[in-house]
Amino acid sequence: MTESPSEAPARPDPAAVAEHFASLVEATGHSAAHATAKIIVPRERWVEIHEVLQEHLPFFSYLSAIDWSCEVAVGDPPGGDEVSERYEVMTRISDVDEGKALIVSTEIPKDDATIPTLIGVYGGADWHERETAEMFGIDFEGHPNLVKLYLPDGFQGHPLQKSFPLLSRDLKPWPGDVDVEDMPSTGNVEGGGA
Amino acid sequence: MTGIDPRVAMFHSETQVSVELQTEDMTLNLGPQHPSTHGVLRLIAKVDGERVEEIEPVIGYMHRGYEKLAEVRTYPQITALVNRIDWVSGFANEIAFVTAAERLMGLEVPERAQYVRLILTEMTRISSHLLFLSSYPLELGAATPLMFALRDRERIMDLIEGVTGGRFHPNFNRLGGVKPAAGGGSTQKKVVQDLPAGFLEDTRVAMAGVYKVCDEIDGLITGNEIFAERTKGIGVIPADKAMEYGVSGPNLRGSGVGFDLRKVEDYLPYDLFDWQVPIGIDGDCFDRYVVRMEEIRQSASIIEQAIDSIPSGPLRAKAPRIIKIPQGEIYVRAENPKGEMGYHIVSEGGREPYRLKIRSASYSNLSILPWLLEGVLLPDIIAILGSLDFVLGDVDR
Repeated sequence: MTESPSEAPARPDPAAVAEHFASLVEATGHSAAHATAKIIVPRERWVEIHEVLQEHLPFFSYLSAIDWSCEVAVGDPPGGDEVSERYEVMTRISDVDEGKALIVSTEIPKDDATIPTLIGVYGGADWHERETAEMFGIDFEGHPNLVKLYLPDGFQGHPLQKSFPLLSRDLKPWPGDVDVEDMPSTGNVEGGGA
Repeated sequence: MTGIDPRVAMFHSETQVSVELQTEDMTLNLGPQHPSTHGVLRLIAKVDGERVEEIEPVIGYMHRGYEKLAEVRTYPQITALVNRIDWVSGFANEIAFVTAAERLMGLEVPERAQYVRLILTEMTRISSHLLFLSSYPLELGAATPLMFALRDRERIMDLIEGVTGGRFHPNFNRLGGVKPAAGGGSTQKKVVQDLPAGFLEDTRVAMAGVYKVCDEIDGLITGNEIFAERTKGIGVIPADKAMEYGVSGPNLRGSGVGFDLRKVEDYLPYDLFDWQVPIGIDGDCFDRYVVRMEEIRQSASIIEQAIDSIPSGPLRAKAPRIIKIPQGEIYVRAENPKGEMGYHIVSEGGREPYRLKIRSASYSNLSILPWLLEGVLLPDIIAILGSLDFVLGDVDR
């Protein structure tokens, strides 16, 4: 068993990481707000771009989706400007030497919610795509076994879509709506010595 | 054939019969109720004799719908909910989430609170790995480490309960720091609210017990021939496959990849202390066991250094009473005892997140099973499942 030295490696700068990979794959957009490097790519080149990125970022963290929608059955609708109805599919990949990490995101329209599968590039995408398919109703073309993962067979509907209600909230008002009162001396919290 | 004893001739003729038995593969169900599947995991295995041809894990028996629930809960409420994902390491689940919410808000955590978070996270790591050390040899037939490891784990659980109020679900993190501990007279104003008296000294003393139990179990198990037979060379995960599937934590380090998020990310001040990352060589069950054993020792060393150098100061930054996080998106990952645990928060300016994606370690660790368990013997399945050290709450969220 070997041990590694205890100096911390130099941390990569997320903005530089986003820019470097965005230019490498000719992404349509990139950002690094809140130290989270993200590039936006078109759906047509989804698999090809991941094949290029896999040589640099071999660790597959997750694949998931976001349902951007103005009418929501639970929670609050998105604030600010009107958002266009779409699904945003994102993967997160990273490397294991320096800790460079990247979110690769694409948008797909709701009436044509399909995207090619990444199983040929990252084997781990198997379960993540199954979960995203059952939760959002997105079809992954070429996936060999797109059956339900979490939900029981015969479950109808796609729970993480914004239009899917939480039945318990509809049936009765939730007592947890009120935030609990803070302890009275929150403003004067001072710690003593060890 | 004259001159040959008829009984010899009979034996001779029987041995000419070819023993081609017609065999069929059997579908075996290691059902959700099973003592060694660490919870409600169902494995549908197609076996040929004792060798697995194909295996399909069925999960989702404990799916609680965290991501949907999080859309209707405020950030402090989610902090309480998130403890329950990986219930063996309750405190460590919260860390990445509160760090993500604090960074989106731009809230700075005071130094003393960071040290307290670090100490409690490392204690949680020791507790989780001690549970591994107690249950893994038990699955392979060794009953003694169970008692030793759980005895010291109870001491740590008592300490965690003494400061946070809960053994498995501490719910101790707040946005901006940690909860000022419930000490005497907490309803009076101007009372010094800090960690309970004696917590840090007792923790230091408990670490001596942790080193001792590691050495005891080392002496019992690590050199044991039966243990070596059942774990060496079993369940080898090559490094590139591990990365492709997202296997992380001690499982990845057992395969020779020296990647530890505590060194790479800066969510807590780990780089102020002198400690090392244990790495395995072969990627088999034995290496994963040794990596976890060594990680306990390293965590105990970190805790001792942290207690010696903890600064004084407030335990929580001032945060508004109703927490609304401005629009933004962030992903923060932390080194959970099981692996990489991360939270992707998409906030649209409300009291609740618009979307919370939870990246749980055991989910990705388990997704390698259909590939890993092909062609292994049935008893080896138990050894491999135990060495991956997953928790079904983490898998199913």
